[in-house]
Amino acid sequence: MMRKTVLTTLVALLLLSVVFMQPAAAQTTTLRVLVHQNPPMVEFMEMFNQQFQERHPDIVIDMSVVNANDLSTVTQTRLSANDIDVIDIFGFSNAVQPYMENVDAPNWQQLIDAGLLMDLSGQDFINNYDAATIADAGTYNGGVYAINLGRVSYSGVFYNMDLFEEYSLAVPTTWDELVAACQTFTADGIPCMTAGGKDGWPIFVGAYGMIGAIYPDQAALVEGLWTGTIKWNDEKSMEMWRKMQVYARDMIEPGASGVAGDAAPGRFASGAVAMFPGGTWYAPAIEASEPDFEWGYIPFPASDTPEDNQYLFGKYDQGWAVAANTPNADAALLYLAEFSDPENYQAFVNAVGFIPTQPTAQLSTRIGEQVGPYLANFRVGYEQYWVAPRGVGQYAAPWASFFQPFGTFDDPQTLADTVQADLQSGLDAIGG
Amino acid sequence: MYHFGRGRARWVPYLLLLPGVLAYFIMAVGPSLATTVFSFTDASGLPNAPVNWVGLDNYEEFLFLGQAARDNLNAVGRTLVFCFFVTTIQFALGLVVAIILNQKLRGRNFFRTLYFMPVILGAVIQGLIWTLFLYPLGGPLAQILGTFGLRSEFLGGPPTEAFAWVIVVQIWANMGVTMIIFLAGLQTISEEYYEAARIDGANAWQVFTNVTWPLLTPSVNTNLLLNIIGSLQAWQLFLVLIGYRNGTQVLGYLIYATGFGQTSGSVTSSFRQGYAAAASIVMFVMVLVIGLTVQYFLRRREERLVG
Repeated sequence: MMRKTVLTTLVALLLLSVVFMQPAAAQTTTLRVLVHQNPPMVEFMEMFNQQFQERHPDIVIDMSVVNANDLSTVTQTRLSANDIDVIDIFGFSNAVQPYMENVDAPNWQQLIDAGLLMDLSGQDFINNYDAATIADAGTYNGGVYAINLGRVSYSGVFYNMDLFEEYSLAVPTTWDELVAACQTFTADGIPCMTAGGKDGWPIFVGAYGMIGAIYPDQAALVEGLWTGTIKWNDEKSMEMWRKMQVYARDMIEPGASGVAGDAAPGRFASGAVAMFPGGTWYAPAIEASEPDFEWGYIPFPASDTPEDNQYLFGKYDQGWAVAANTPNADAALLYLAEFSDPENYQAFVNAVGFIPTQPTAQLSTRIGEQVGPYLANFRVGYEQYWVAPRGVGQYAAPWASFFQPFGTFDDPQTLADTVQADLQSGLDAIGG
Repeated sequence: MYHFGRGRARWVPYLLLLPGVLAYFIMAVGPSLATTVFSFTDASGLPNAPVNWVGLDNYEEFLFLGQAARDNLNAVGRTLVFCFFVTTIQFALGLVVAIILNQKLRGRNFFRTLYFMPVILGAVIQGLIWTLFLYPLGGPLAQILGTFGLRSEFLGGPPTEAFAWVIVVQIWANMGVTMIIFLAGLQTISEEYYEAARIDGANAWQVFTNVTWPLLTPSVNTNLLLNIIGSLQAWQLFLVLIGYRNGTQVLGYLIYATGFGQTSGSVTSSFRQGYAAAASIVMFVMVLVIGLTVQYFLRRREERLVG
């Protein structure tokens, strides 16, 4: 009996201590942050979070990392559950243009219209970014809903300097030179290019430079496709498809479809392949894999005229937004304010290789040196403008991955006709 | 007449059933009804977003609007193909393995565990194992093919090949359940039937067709229905193994990608849960029709064989 009483008292004391300890625990704010998988960026964020927590011991950062393909899905579900405070959001793109009909608003616009993102207008840290970026990549209906952290190019190609030197090859400036260089490498058993094909999109994004070489004004391309003045199977587009087939069949190494997106930079840096078409965001991963590896970055030389190969196409990449209903608004805004501090921002840009969107930041990285000469020719790329009408077929996109060995097509004309027919099907459905 | 007594005692079983029934309504029937209602709206799935009644527009778009509708119907066809191959192969393999592992063999418990093990792994782990096995740049299968001068992109290759690999993985991942149900069924068959058959001079095939097969009827029915319904609703392995790729989507994955705005890289898409709900109802009808038809024929067969 005595033992029972003692035991009961102990349990009661334990429960009471748990109850009374709660207010102390509640003083700590847990700030929930969502980012997409980009190894150098994640590595930087972990370091930044640690420093932030040291400066603010009352705030604990709980950062989740998801694949870029799933970012939109996870954003939706966690915002709906009011389970996230700070969100990684890509620069606002794919806005509906006046000539577009029967389309759906992009997800960022839906999130704002539903009142799920906080209007950041008036926050001091916004002034750290250049006005054009705030206007183009974070403003909607007069409110500022995101600060964008940098632009990236995705239409260039990394090349292995040592291999080019070893084979006495000049860096290609035209399509013919590129084809010849690839033939030289493959003839000697060195695959010409690799890509992180397991993630799907790196195969076709690697060929976006080809669209740019044929259609340098990509906003006009999208309008032309919508209004019917440009067709995916007209003679000009056929040149693109023919080159894309060569890219998919002869340039990208067999087996690239199994290479994960975050493993591809390491494969290139190992010297296993001569070139690596892809975005500037891969540069820090290449450097981290092999710090002594000598590499360069050029616009994809897809045109036969060197002057047409001077453009870099890209997008506004990662930005920060805050959940409108966050119970941790003060901590979230403090997080963004400290991140936006010029010193922290410079460290971020150095780590991830973005083209900065703060005017005071320097582009002093190796990738910065490489893209510097082309920055005056930087243009927002096709995919950032494109919105498909409802009813389009699944092939209504200029993707090199539709060709064998990654897809089913082995004839450029057949593929071009299919792509145009799938697009036309959606355009014809308007008002139908 | 009153199995559970008279008076208040009559209500005890209903009271005991109540929590389960309530849970079923809240967790299954409620969301199903809500999905039906959503399918007639333009709901995005976002809280606070306006929801408008659009009648049959979502169904019209899914079934009839442009090439996208034909792609959707192709996805329905692909789902049926997936169901056919998964069901038949998984069923046959499960039966054969169960019969073998029902014999008095050394190490049979080990093999039973081995064959069942994939079932307890989640779809992500299952996908990871096969992604490594099918790695085209030096993975085990690539090396085997390489010795014959062959090569393949496997999961990243042409859609038909990638699709076939998902069938293989789906069977590998779930064959253990089929096997266990058959094993349970085999162990309920009395040894006396086999002895009698052998005394009558029946050979192994005759024993199987006249004793084992008819008496396995309840297991056959259970397995067939589980395999059919499971494969018609499959989508996780498609997501993990190949992602959203033209020519590989089945209806379940199409619904997921549409409803939750799945993207490719940073290209934004839209949240369309109303439309996805309509696609879900199409799938529900498909599963219902196929499930009821199969069940009807299985019942008739069971009555004929077992009585």
